[in-house]
Amino acid sequence: MTFLTIFALGIAALIAAPYLAHRLRRQRAEQHPFAPTRLVPPTPPKARRRARLEDRSLFAIRAASVLALALLGASPLVKCSRLALSRSGTSVAIAIVLDDSMSMRVVDGSGRTRFQRAQEGAREILGALRDGDAAAIVLAGSPARVGLAATTDISAARAALDGITESDRATDLDGSIAIARTLVSELPQIDRRVVVLSDLADGKPDAPALGEGAALPVWVAMPELRAPADDCGVLAADRTGPRARVRFACSTPQAAASREVQIKDGDRVIAHTPLPQTQMGEATLTVGPEDMRDETRELVAVLTGKDAIASDDRATVVVEAGPAALAVVGDRTEEAVATGGAPVIEQALAALHVDMAVRPIPQVPDRREDTAPFAAIIVDDPPGFTPEQRHALSAFVESGGVLLVALGRRAAAAPLGANFEPLLAHAVGWDSSPSSGVDLASGASFFGEAASSLSDLAPKGRAKLAEQDVSSYEPLLKWSDGAPLIGRRSRGRGDVWVSTLPFSVEASDFALRPGFLALLDAFVSEAKQRATPRRGDVGTPWAFAGARQVEAQGPSGTITATRDDGTLRIVPVLAGAYRVSIDGNKELRVAAPLAREIDMRPRAVAEGATSSALGGGVAIVDVSWMVALGLLGLVAAELLVRAWASARGASGASAGTGAGTSSESKAS
Amino acid sequence: MSAKRASVASSLGPKSTGLRRSIDWGSLAPLRIRARMVAEGVYAGAHRSARKGAGVEFGGHRAYTPGDDLRWLDVRSLLRHDHLLVRQFETETDRALRLVVDATASMGYRGKSAPASKIAWASLVAAALARVAIRSGDPVGLGFIGGAPQARGVPVSGGREAFERVVDALEGQSAEGDALADLPALDRALGALSRAARRGSVVVVLSDLLDLPPAAPDRIATIATRGRVVVVVQTLDPDEATFPFTETVRLQALEGGATVETDEAARERYLAALAELQESWKRTLVGRGASFLTMRTDEDPVSAVRNIIEAIR
Repeated sequence: MTFLTIFALGIAALIAAPYLAHRLRRQRAEQHPFAPTRLVPPTPPKARRRARLEDRSLFAIRAASVLALALLGASPLVKCSRLALSRSGTSVAIAIVLDDSMSMRVVDGSGRTRFQRAQEGAREILGALRDGDAAAIVLAGSPARVGLAATTDISAARAALDGITESDRATDLDGSIAIARTLVSELPQIDRRVVVLSDLADGKPDAPALGEGAALPVWVAMPELRAPADDCGVLAADRTGPRARVRFACSTPQAAASREVQIKDGDRVIAHTPLPQTQMGEATLTVGPEDMRDETRELVAVLTGKDAIASDDRATVVVEAGPAALAVVGDRTEEAVATGGAPVIEQALAALHVDMAVRPIPQVPDRREDTAPFAAIIVDDPPGFTPEQRHALSAFVESGGVLLVALGRRAAAAPLGANFEPLLAHAVGWDSSPSSGVDLASGASFFGEAASSLSDLAPKGRAKLAEQDVSSYEPLLKWSDGAPLIGRRSRGRGDVWVSTLPFSVEASDFALRPGFLALLDAFVSEAKQRATPRRGDVGTPWAFAGARQVEAQGPSGTITATRDDGTLRIVPVLAGAYRVSIDGNKELRVAAPLAREIDMRPRAVAEGATSSALGGGVAIVDVSWMVALGLLGLVAAELLVRAWASARGASGASAGTGAGTSSESKAS
Repeated sequence: MSAKRASVASSLGPKSTGLRRSIDWGSLAPLRIRARMVAEGVYAGAHRSARKGAGVEFGGHRAYTPGDDLRWLDVRSLLRHDHLLVRQFETETDRALRLVVDATASMGYRGKSAPASKIAWASLVAAALARVAIRSGDPVGLGFIGGAPQARGVPVSGGREAFERVVDALEGQSAEGDALADLPALDRALGALSRAARRGSVVVVLSDLLDLPPAAPDRIATIATRGRVVVVVQTLDPDEATFPFTETVRLQALEGGATVETDEAARERYLAALAELQESWKRTLVGRGASFLTMRTDEDPVSAVRNIIEAIR
């Protein structure tokens, strides 16, 4: 036990003594029988009045006096210190990198989060700036972004700083420092620095030390933010039937000790299992059939016990949908005869190893609900679409699906009542191809080198589109005569791709060329992008292409989408469930924290980045004179209270004596 | 110490009627002897008979005794027969003394400076008055407001036995009952008295008047009509008259169950409330021809009886 500890205990005892004395003085009133009680006015008892008016104020004054005396005695030790820059005399330009990632939610001994302390540190640094100094703010939560461009208006910088809040993003220190350098490197100030206020827990403890070999000096301030902490968090929670899978990560295996994973329905625990003592793993729980009957009920996965960050200890359990499927509509019999096996398009998709289930279906779905499992549909040489099929496909595309229609001989011979509206406004023709290959320049940007494989296709024929239909599509690849081979057009939130060459090997060997694989790859990538992800990473924007109105209810309340490049986007900055409304259609999405954010090990820091030459905690206020003044004020206050109390007591006593005398005379 | 015992006994509460709360006689016991002593003290002073006095019908002669009023000396008999004779006159009506003692729970209170409880002091005064009346040849009756259910009053009667019956009834009484909540108890005590008392009867009510129902002043004042003499003696404990509390206390009423936490700051307003209560009683009683006296239990019982007799005349 150090001298300071004993000293602090002594002060605590001194403060407690008046309180105990105060409590001991207060005793319960003695009870007396008294016949004329109903004539006695119910006045506040003296003890209570004294406790309220006199004793409490005196007690507060005395306790404050003792504390002030102790502070005054310790004035060589007690000084207010704050962050400040070391200055060389010239104006300074600083870029403050403020970490707003999830790891900054760790609460320290003072009850404040690391983020709040870092924000306070940033305020102190801004407060130390002078006229002519410039400041910029960069946020280190992934993706790194500019909080405030460089400005000499320090009040604007303070306002911007106050508007920054905590988030559950991952940490991107390298990116944020790079942005910070960019912001201040071109400023006219000679002294330019980057100040990092972070716990440095970016999940890359073995990466090169921060500030090493930097063109601009990097000052990694506030080393107290890098105190070790233990945390476990739920990364994902899915359920399929009665099974629930909970993926988790812990900063250390010890952090998982004696903790459980629970599946809760409201406050009711419906399944639980011990948390495996690993740094990252998965726990599988089986839920009773009666609890899984209703899939619309919202279940949550919860980690029991306490750790450094509470917000990542629970996550919404979502119904596992699996990877979105891709439907292929074609004449399998005819294809099988040609290839001797699966249709060529299925073989091509298998060769691409697309992370999507390929579902061959005999005909185009004619109900909207039949298209629900698919993210993309490929239709090879359809004989037109019936009205029901057109309606189903139109709804599929408008809700975000991607459709690829290869037009061939049958498309040109569509029966009466079957056409391609609204994909194509006019009838499709079939004719011999005047050109044998594609225009390589037209497809270079989209197909790359694979376009060269299509230079000598020599098809037996090709579909011919009306002029109006050609103009409504963006050509991705053209025939050498300028007619489109592959065209694309956005419709609603989805995309329609049209090929004027069917995939059948009887029409051409287009499907056997690398360019075809490039086409399928691009198509599948587009489909994946547009497929609704049920779970995304915190901080990664959700794009809603083609949507007119998007709104979300997240953990922090209602979030309105912002338009960027013509597309509405929502950035989930907090982990948790979001109920998204897209043009009136509601869906549930989950933003999950990244596993690397739960790794609390701090990044190494270059020796020069913590140098006191850059800045540090500077003692700028000696508080002893303030404490002395305060003590004098307290003494004066006690004297006033005592004088007031004694004057009041004297008047009360004289009133009491007078009343007694009058009663005596009346009685006699 | 004894005061504390009485206080604690009283604090058992008037509602627990199953318990018998004996009267704290204090230094006033034994009642029979103390009453005789008080009565003797009264005789030693300027006593006048309660029965014989100014009247319209001649009642005969008797031998003169020292102290007799010389206005009634028969001068003719003295001159003719040389005998000192006094002329006597019959009063117009009955001069029976009817005593009403409040025996509700509040009368059991005894403060620190009181010689006995209020009911004990009232009983002593009542017994002394009975003794004086009987010695003067007037019949005496006794009634109670509240008190023990088994205790009975004494019908109006004369003679030595009447005094013994009055004392026995007082000694057998205890302070219990809640008159504030029991208006019929007051009606039982005063109703019969009002009907039976004849013109010229003397009614003395001994009560603290603190917990009687609001209708009580009117009911008592009504007795004073039809030529009856009514004296109401408010009997207060010294504590009740002065409110001596200096520290914070929790006061519990003996009737009604009210509890108040207070201290000396309430004294002034309490005494004002008490004075207002007394003034209200006085206004009601005096307006109907009755008398109102306030007495404390630390007063000398002899002077108290004298004051009451003065009020009767």
